[in-house]
Amino acid sequence: MSNASAATLAAEQARAPAQIKYRSQAVAKPYFMAAIGLFIGQILFGLIIGLQYVKGDFLFPAISFSTARMVHTNLLIVWLLFGFMGAGYFLIPEECERELYSPKLAIITFWVFLVAGALTIVGYLGLPYNVLAHLTGNDLLPTMGRGYLEQPLITKVGIVLVALSFLFNLSMTLLSGRKTSISIVMLLGLWGLAIFFLFSFVNPNNLVLDKYFWWWVVHLWVEGVWELIMGAMLAFVLVKVTGVDREIIEKWLYLIIAMTLITGIIGTGHHYFWIGTPAYWQVWGSIFSALEPVPFFMMTMFAFNMVKRRRREHPNQAATLWALGTGVMSFLGAGVWGFLGTLSVVNYYTHGTQLTASHGHMAFYGAYAMVVLTMISYTMPLLRGREANSPQAQNVEKLAFWVMTLSIVGITLCLTAAGATQVWLQRMSSAPLSFMETQEHIMPLYWARLVCGLGFFSGLMLYLISFFVTGKRQD
Amino acid sequence: MRTDSLPMEDIPHDRHVPGDLAMWCFILAELAVFGVFFLVYGYHRWRDPALFSHGQQQLHLLLPTLNTLLLLAGSAAIVAAVRAFALNRQRSGRRWLMSTMLAGGGFLVLKAIELGGKFAAGITLSSGDFWMFYLSLTVFHFLHVVLGMVIVAAVWWQARDGRYAGATIDGVETAAAYWHMVDLVWIVLFALIYVAR
Amino acid sequence: MSASFTKSTARNIFYGGSVFFFLLFLGLTLDTTMALPSHNAKAKLTDAAVRGKKIWETRNCGGCHTLLGEGAYFGPELGNVYVRRGPDFIKGWMKAMPTNVPGRRQMPQFHLNDGELDDVVAFLKYTSEINTNNWPPNIQG
Repeated sequence: MSNASAATLAAEQARAPAQIKYRSQAVAKPYFMAAIGLFIGQILFGLIIGLQYVKGDFLFPAISFSTARMVHTNLLIVWLLFGFMGAGYFLIPEECERELYSPKLAIITFWVFLVAGALTIVGYLGLPYNVLAHLTGNDLLPTMGRGYLEQPLITKVGIVLVALSFLFNLSMTLLSGRKTSISIVMLLGLWGLAIFFLFSFVNPNNLVLDKYFWWWVVHLWVEGVWELIMGAMLAFVLVKVTGVDREIIEKWLYLIIAMTLITGIIGTGHHYFWIGTPAYWQVWGSIFSALEPVPFFMMTMFAFNMVKRRRREHPNQAATLWALGTGVMSFLGAGVWGFLGTLSVVNYYTHGTQLTASHGHMAFYGAYAMVVLTMISYTMPLLRGREANSPQAQNVEKLAFWVMTLSIVGITLCLTAAGATQVWLQRMSSAPLSFMETQEHIMPLYWARLVCGLGFFSGLMLYLISFFVTGKRQD
Repeated sequence: MRTDSLPMEDIPHDRHVPGDLAMWCFILAELAVFGVFFLVYGYHRWRDPALFSHGQQQLHLLLPTLNTLLLLAGSAAIVAAVRAFALNRQRSGRRWLMSTMLAGGGFLVLKAIELGGKFAAGITLSSGDFWMFYLSLTVFHFLHVVLGMVIVAAVWWQARDGRYAGATIDGVETAAAYWHMVDLVWIVLFALIYVAR
Repeated sequence: MSASFTKSTARNIFYGGSVFFFLLFLGLTLDTTMALPSHNAKAKLTDAAVRGKKIWETRNCGGCHTLLGEGAYFGPELGNVYVRRGPDFIKGWMKAMPTNVPGRRQMPQFHLNDGELDDVVAFLKYTSEINTNNWPPNIQG
């Protein structure tokens, strides 16, 4: 650290609560708290639909499966966005070595986003979906009713405005501050997130084009720009907890995200096999997506290498555990499980089965839930005025890590077996069973998945409890 | 591809991997993509040899043969450029880089003539398996030649201030490595699509 | 091994590679949009089918069903249901919902009138005509 920045640090510490370098980083705290709250909501609705898989009429007609699933997936997206935004508000000032351009705007944005998100969920649960669509202007510009993009038009516009306010705030901070590779990659990823979200307003009548550009949001988010955000967040935490030279971490960051986009952009083609698009996508999509595990593998090696080469023993061991976990689980979920169904010859049989769901659960948890939890784990103690939580609190957090992670592995394995059963009985059999007959055969696996889901929820509760464990603080 | 016109002994030999490791990572990824593409091509050709040989009979060898020579010439020129910069012969080095770009430009012109003929005949990516592979591979490679020329041009531009000299010629070596990759891929492509019938 | 590995080269490869492959993706997208009319020549996107698509969206049908394999995995694939079940079955089925059989998965009653039901059928007829490169493997979806 340069003398100048050390001096800034000393000056800041005199004013700000201990440990955060810039007072305005504190705006990240409500974002992270909201993220955790919405995460709990997501899992509760996950349990509801998990139960509906085995008890089909559970809560019907009060909360139908389609509504509960929509809440489950939308809460996932929203809590991850809260996590990314909190991470941005914490990371950018620290990297840029200056206060946030406007902390007040960040707080206003927070409340706008939270209220808009809450109203949307209330709308989902309180109104029939077509009434909600009618009331919110879907007739003017139909955008609703497509996976992950079910939000009413006004919510979508709200998301764009919130994103613009957030990006304006961070970009202004970056422009007049120190420009590090980590902060630039983070902002590139966040800008990409906002730009590709604009395709959620594109909904051609032609179903093929509708599906084609739907993936420009969904795929180019999770297998494109979100990986930039993830890489930047992981690199930031690794710089902090390992003390490895920033130059080394940043060059690996660039190389990994280069591989991500080189494979991932054309890799979108693995969604264009059977939706009415030309057959050549089977070749292009298979080849590029077959290489998509490479950057995830590099990410894993990167995390472990940096921790191995660490030059300090950071007292926050829980954060290091989350960082390593992100590396491993994103590789397994996005890399390995993604690869399982990605080749067109395999995908012909697995497309639209529980195998897709198994990959989705492990990849979303392993890559994005875990990287946000890594960031929260590293920053929350600082935001609460200490470098790390007490060993007791960290032990609870680590236990929560293992319970949640092993539960998601359980869910993934159950759904993989369920998907394999579907492929076998419904797709490959010489006397194929109907969809619902096949489902009857899978019931035991759905029960097992529900048990794993309850395990995940208990892990999440442990995680929540870890914030309230005081124990003896170090030094 | 070594040219013996320049003295070997003046070149530093202590370094094992020329150019930048990041570029080698990129090259490996590119080779993996092309490699898998070629394997898939081979598989489809094995499945339907009649369709592929019928398609191959409609390809002419003159332009691609000239193109092979052009790319090889470009490779030789960039090797000469590396040598020249290592010996701090700046003007000669930049001239060799320009020669590589000229060879690449020639390749692009001839390739554009060939592809233009196919497009004019109404051939698209949806004109059956053979033409899908033919267009995918040749256009994809065409774009790599463009990218290679951009990289060489960037090095040529940066070499104005004499920054590449003696042992600090990583930039030139990095560009050369990429150019050789593009060249290597073309030779396999040429053999596989045009020659092996 | 004494290879150099610089951040600036890694950065250039990131920017250059991303732009290169995004432009390639745009090119393939252009080709796809131009190839779609002939690829899907059989799929008739009638006015009724367009209205049916809006009903599909505003009833969140994709919250339970897959359509060409995309959506949720709670109910059967509907991209080919027009072929599997036929128009009359589809309309009768939707009118009869929910079954209220204890423990069974339930589909809501959407109170569609006859014209709207015809639109849904027209939409599902259109989806069954889309050239999906022979997916699904069999009629069961």
